[in-house]
Amino acid sequence: MQPTSLSQRPPTPRLIGPVNWRGLWTLYMKEVRRFLNVFTQTLLAPMITTLLFLAIFTLALGRAVQQIGGVSFAQFLAPGLIMMAMVQNAFANTSSSIVSAKVQGNIVDILMPPLSPWELTLGVVGGGVTRGLLVGLTVGVAMTFVVPVSIHDPLFIVFHAVNASLMLALLGLIGGIWAEKFDHIAAVTNFVITPFSFLSGTFYSIERLPETWHAVALMNPFFYMIDGFRYGFIGHADGSLIVGMLLLLAVNIALWTLAHRMIATGYRLKA
Amino acid sequence: MPPPVPRPLGPRSLGPRSFGAVNWRGFHTLYWRGMLRTFKYAWEFLGGPLVFSLLFLAVFVLAAGGQGEMAPGVSLMQFIAPGIVIFSLSHAAFENAGFALLDDKLEGMIGDLLAAPLSPGEILGGYVLSALCSALMVGTLNLGVMALFVDLRLHDLPAIAGFAAAAALLFALIGTLVGLWAERWEHYAMAETFLIMPLGFLSGTFFARGAMPESFQAVVTLNPVFHAVDGFRYGLTGFTEGNLAAAAAILAGLNLGLWLLAWRLFSVGYKVKP
Repeated sequence: MQPTSLSQRPPTPRLIGPVNWRGLWTLYMKEVRRFLNVFTQTLLAPMITTLLFLAIFTLALGRAVQQIGGVSFAQFLAPGLIMMAMVQNAFANTSSSIVSAKVQGNIVDILMPPLSPWELTLGVVGGGVTRGLLVGLTVGVAMTFVVPVSIHDPLFIVFHAVNASLMLALLGLIGGIWAEKFDHIAAVTNFVITPFSFLSGTFYSIERLPETWHAVALMNPFFYMIDGFRYGFIGHADGSLIVGMLLLLAVNIALWTLAHRMIATGYRLKA
Repeated sequence: MPPPVPRPLGPRSLGPRSFGAVNWRGFHTLYWRGMLRTFKYAWEFLGGPLVFSLLFLAVFVLAAGGQGEMAPGVSLMQFIAPGIVIFSLSHAAFENAGFALLDDKLEGMIGDLLAAPLSPGEILGGYVLSALCSALMVGTLNLGVMALFVDLRLHDLPAIAGFAAAAALLFALIGTLVGLWAERWEHYAMAETFLIMPLGFLSGTFFARGAMPESFQAVVTLNPVFHAVDGFRYGLTGFTEGNLAAAAAILAGLNLGLWLLAWRLFSVGYKVKP
């Protein structure tokens, strides 16, 4: 009798084209499932926090600040708060993923598979962007119940939401690769990300700022992401929209190149 | 001169250490472990809340455009600075107690504690006191730095110290209870989001109770943090919205009740002993 056809075909490696789609999808889904698994912390918590912020700021300042940028204070505040929640969560997703993988040693499981540096970058960053956008959507929907949210230009909303999440997801990836302990990344969150997201015009129009700080704000990418995103809702911007969009794109390209380079050379990832 | 002969290990040195009604050394060891943890992570534990507080202060002042008084004779900064201090020290107390206890449970270190000759009251006291002291360190640092920007007076020192300590104790006890109840980090995070943040934020920390809708005022009056903030603010500005004696009584009663509950839970070994 002839042996079965199984034994005639030795096992062969899976053929991968120019892009390892299956590997990329697996890595991306791992990143997404990681935060969906604890959605109370990753989606509900930002929603509650943001609504509380909205409540305290409108209650405390609603009477002192009647009109800002041509709309009520709550309408001015809402887009900034949504953006703040998005960027903080996009950063938290990639940074915590990489740092915990490094600390626990399972970083090898994403370095060993046949994934190229750009596929790794895309998979991890894609998870962060997804979390940022989902948080933005959750917070935004919750806010429509308390604030009259109008949409002026959806394209601006989507462009700034995606680019802001992408920028912070890339920063989180870079920060995560750089950090050696959880303390390091907590320090970056406390002393860099939180101050930038607070002080970049979420709560006030930058025309309020003194001369020097006004000039500084006009070079701050965080300001442009909030300003452009808010323009999509209320149709009023404090800065130049074109400059903002070009700056965001340029920063994202630079950060992507840096992240790609870090992964390709194995900086603080490979021995 | 002959070398000194080492004293032989006698039965006395092998005997158990005797202690009176309270195992002071054990209690102090547990307390000091908590404090060492705070010092080890001082950069995050003290620096994080400080940055957060100053950001809040800056953002409020910029958003309000420096205009307006929150109450007669009380500027916006004078009004919110005490609230921010109480918020950050309360959060620190919760975090310190809850984090320590849950970490001990999840890592299995709680066994070392239960096997040690410590009574339930001593264990509870050790956790709560270290959280209380750490929180007061956070509060003092925050207040000291804010006093550089905000015109704060020591109007009534006992009120300042008393209400700060009452708030810290309250949240250290809540943190202990949450630490006992939680089985995973997710539970702890849930308590933080759904209990601590609303308690802290919807308390008149950042706005006068009078500025709120009628129905909401009643809810805020039920919030113990409102009373702590109000009393603390009185100590720093002389302005109060409530009744200080009632505030002190509410906080003392609540702290006593939570202490008894936590003590009882430690005695029966709720979620701690198999």
